[in-house]
Amino acid sequence: MTKKVVLHVLAIGFALYLVVPFYWIVNLSFMHEVDAASVPPHFLPDNPTPANYLGFVNPSTDQALVGSNAVGDTPYALLNSLVVAFSTAVVNLVLGTFAAYSFSRIQFRGSQLLLIVYLLTRMVPGIAIIIPFYLVMRTLDLLDTYGALILSYTTFALPITIWILKDYFRTVPRELEDAARVDRCGWFRMMWTVFLPISAPGLVAAAIFSFMTAWNEFMFALFMTSSISSQTIPVIAANFATDLNTQVTLMAAAGVLAVVPPLVLVLICQRLIVQGMAAGSVKG
Amino acid sequence: MTPQTSFSRRRVLQLGALTASLPAIGSVLAACGGGGGASSGAVKFSGWDYESALVQQNVDRFVQLNPDVPVEYTPITSAQYVQKTVAEFTAGGGPDALYVYDDSLAGWVAAEYLQPLDGMPGVDEVYAGIYPSNAEAMTIDGKRYGLPYYTDSQCLIYNEAILAKAGISAPPTSLDELEQQSQRIKDAGLLEFPIGLTAQLQDTWWAWVWGLVFASGGDMFDEAGNPVMDGADPTARNVFAWLQRAATVSKVIDPAVLQLLPVPLDDAMKAERYAFTVGARYALRDYNDPSRSKAAGKLKIAYVPSLDGNVAGTVSNTRMYALSKDTEVQEKAFKLLTYLGGFTDGVPYTAKYWFQKKGLGFPFKKLEEDQEVQSTLATFADPAIYSGLAGIARPRTAIKQPWYSEYENEQQKAVQQLLSNQTSPDDAVKGLSATVTSLKQKYS
Amino acid sequence: MTITAVDTGKPRSGTEQRPRRTMGDTARAYLLNAPAMIVIGLLVAYPIGYSFWLSLHRYNLKLPALERFVWFQNYLSLIGDPAFLSSLRVTVAFVVVVLGLTVILGTALALVLNETFLGRGVLRSLVLLPWAMPGVVNGLMWRTIFDAKTGALNGLLLQLGLIDSYQAWLTSPTGAFLITAFAQVWNTLPFTVIILLAGLSTIPSEQYDAAKVDRAGVVQRFTQVTLPWLLHPLLIVLILETMNAFRAFDTIYVLTGGGPGDATNVIAVLNVRTVLTYTDFGLGSAYSWVITIVTLVISIGYISTLYQRGRIEV
Repeated sequence: MTKKVVLHVLAIGFALYLVVPFYWIVNLSFMHEVDAASVPPHFLPDNPTPANYLGFVNPSTDQALVGSNAVGDTPYALLNSLVVAFSTAVVNLVLGTFAAYSFSRIQFRGSQLLLIVYLLTRMVPGIAIIIPFYLVMRTLDLLDTYGALILSYTTFALPITIWILKDYFRTVPRELEDAARVDRCGWFRMMWTVFLPISAPGLVAAAIFSFMTAWNEFMFALFMTSSISSQTIPVIAANFATDLNTQVTLMAAAGVLAVVPPLVLVLICQRLIVQGMAAGSVKG
Repeated sequence: MTPQTSFSRRRVLQLGALTASLPAIGSVLAACGGGGGASSGAVKFSGWDYESALVQQNVDRFVQLNPDVPVEYTPITSAQYVQKTVAEFTAGGGPDALYVYDDSLAGWVAAEYLQPLDGMPGVDEVYAGIYPSNAEAMTIDGKRYGLPYYTDSQCLIYNEAILAKAGISAPPTSLDELEQQSQRIKDAGLLEFPIGLTAQLQDTWWAWVWGLVFASGGDMFDEAGNPVMDGADPTARNVFAWLQRAATVSKVIDPAVLQLLPVPLDDAMKAERYAFTVGARYALRDYNDPSRSKAAGKLKIAYVPSLDGNVAGTVSNTRMYALSKDTEVQEKAFKLLTYLGGFTDGVPYTAKYWFQKKGLGFPFKKLEEDQEVQSTLATFADPAIYSGLAGIARPRTAIKQPWYSEYENEQQKAVQQLLSNQTSPDDAVKGLSATVTSLKQKYS
Repeated sequence: MTITAVDTGKPRSGTEQRPRRTMGDTARAYLLNAPAMIVIGLLVAYPIGYSFWLSLHRYNLKLPALERFVWFQNYLSLIGDPAFLSSLRVTVAFVVVVLGLTVILGTALALVLNETFLGRGVLRSLVLLPWAMPGVVNGLMWRTIFDAKTGALNGLLLQLGLIDSYQAWLTSPTGAFLITAFAQVWNTLPFTVIILLAGLSTIPSEQYDAAKVDRAGVVQRFTQVTLPWLLHPLLIVLILETMNAFRAFDTIYVLTGGGPGDATNVIAVLNVRTVLTYTDFGLGSAYSWVITIVTLVISIGYISTLYQRGRIEV
């Protein structure tokens, strides 16, 4: 009985901890700018307004001034973020699947070292590589394109993707492959029809991880992009904060919008994510 | 850059080209990108994103007047402008014409991003027409690198109505008086903390610290860039002591200033949450604009208060337009530069445009006498004090030192520690002096 | 994700059948790795190598005339560099606080979620919320909450009668430090919980049943059944979160800019400032490599400690 009470108290405590901070910016996003600065604060909007959200579609003159048109740019930035994050996830899965398969099925010389080297590339801080990376992107003529961002984030997420996938692949029974082989089914076909469908949870977990890496990244996005043809949502969100005409309610609305797409995604996939990670977390 | 230098910028470029062994990937990915197309001889012009819509308007006007000079204007987030421009130049893809902070000028000249403008048509006339402090700020080793965008100097901004409610009829001239008046406002229950400043760490300067020291006739450095704050010149130490007293003993400076950035400070001034601040003159244009400010008409300009009450000076900054060293469209880019920072038909058109639209301080002395300028000025600040400040303002002494940005950061930290009572004025100036010594060593 | 030290010498169901490795297998493995290796090699290997090369140089963009190769002088100079040393102290404290809070909160939350109770599904969804928030937005959000003039926290505490007047939370060194650590933990907690929850989900229920038969208490059950199963996922959490905490930048940059004074000037912030504001690429690269090496050493430390204790082979 006491255990139930403790459990529920903890659960409610954690729920508040997780949701209250976010609730505050949701609350702000439905306020008029005057109310946002009021003392004491309104924990519910007095007369809630959708104006801040409507502004993203059809900004008023005041709103258009904020953050060098950050308001008008927000929908495009969300679209850019979606394209970049989704592409990063796909590219990661393709590259990661090949590599992870080798680690899970083949014992080969240097496999341990290679795994460590992959991980090592993630230990070097981004700032160390940002300038040479910029240079490479410039040489490839990719600056201010989705390509630069997709490539950056692929290199960020790939090592972890490989680790997640290789562990999941190990849990797939070898017999399935052998059965497919007996059917004289080619390797690619076997992967596509047998192996990958079974590995769905691992693939989803890895895909979500790369999606989030791409969605949240700020500094590379800032440097590799220069116009709304490729700027992602963290870059535009930062414009709200630094601008001279900033409005806290608009900034809050943009913040909420920045959270919604990935949130919907993880909510849909949550069971698969935990399953996908479970393989690697425990098996030695 | 000497030929034997181990890696010049061009060498960096070569290394970069080596890695580009998969151009095919490049073109495929570029195709799914969108922008990034090669430009067709257009002048690439970039600046921080202050009022970028107005900049675009003005640039459009220029292109209409000069159809042979297409311009590609790119605004860059203010907070990252310096960093991003450095990255672009390092990678060899800088703009042709660009905004430059006086803070960055010396470093960018040393890094060979910019080219001198001496001898180009109209430059001498511009330099003859601007305030000496602006000319000095744009000159490095005797060479002129910029045409002015705007300049501004620090002033005391006070809320006349709040002062009147506390029975005060004239603004303070000395720091002690500022403290006493603030105390009266506090005692009258009008405001808990009458003085607001912006004191969160930033990559840009805290102009008000320099303004307070210069107003008292002192300096942190001598002409040669040697630190004097811990010896020959006690001004900085005394100003620091006053700051600490006002923040921690009489508590007239808001402790929250440590997390206050420029925008929220402006909002607070417009909402009458502070009676005093030290800031740029152009802020008054915004503060006294009835469509943007509840306090419009109440905020006034004054000289920055000093230790002894005499008016000795203030600090100014200069924002400029400059020409990249490697530009391939020099002539066209310079045409744009002249339009922006020089004279068009004998009138500094763009400088006046900015003053009229946004109140940005004009670098051209002649505009003081311009009728339209006079009438605009009268709507937000006392013209005599406004011009008086421009006359006595001078740029920061150490601004051309290669270690200036490191020093500014340390000075901001020291002032934060003073305001939050983590250090003493003596230790602060000692620490700053030691910082300069070690920075000089690092840079020699 | 498994850890290499654990992999070695442990027979796996697949490899048992074919203990001999053939040349063909190795070639095939590298062929499969080729796409990943090409992308990482082309895009990251050069920047990483280049940054190390830079760290051996005196190289400040503002002083092109002074560029030269200096071996490890940049690294040696760190020993007497007050900015670096103070930043190192702050960073170590930050990493310890963030890791401690993450592990405690993450474990507690995962354990709660592993039980059955009404509303578990809701909490399980809520836990993912902070993950979806970009670091920049996270920083901005906490700014509006801790704001000295209009912040939600001030309003709440005042209405509850816990404070007499609004406080400037971010202006005291300790306050700013704890708040940035807190904001960082909030942002990174979900990933930790997912990994731990995944670990918990694999504990066979017979083990709990056995413990119940033994009439083991809650604490005993935790230490005897749950904890051993959690060690491995915790190890992964420690490695990933150590990496994250050493590199934490976005949230801190937006929240405090490194201040007041040096209170939140962690090495990632100092590093970015050194490279991009001071344009000291040589020293900045050396900072980066110190972060890399420290992270690497700590990661190896975690692995070998657990490996030696033999607890890893659950």
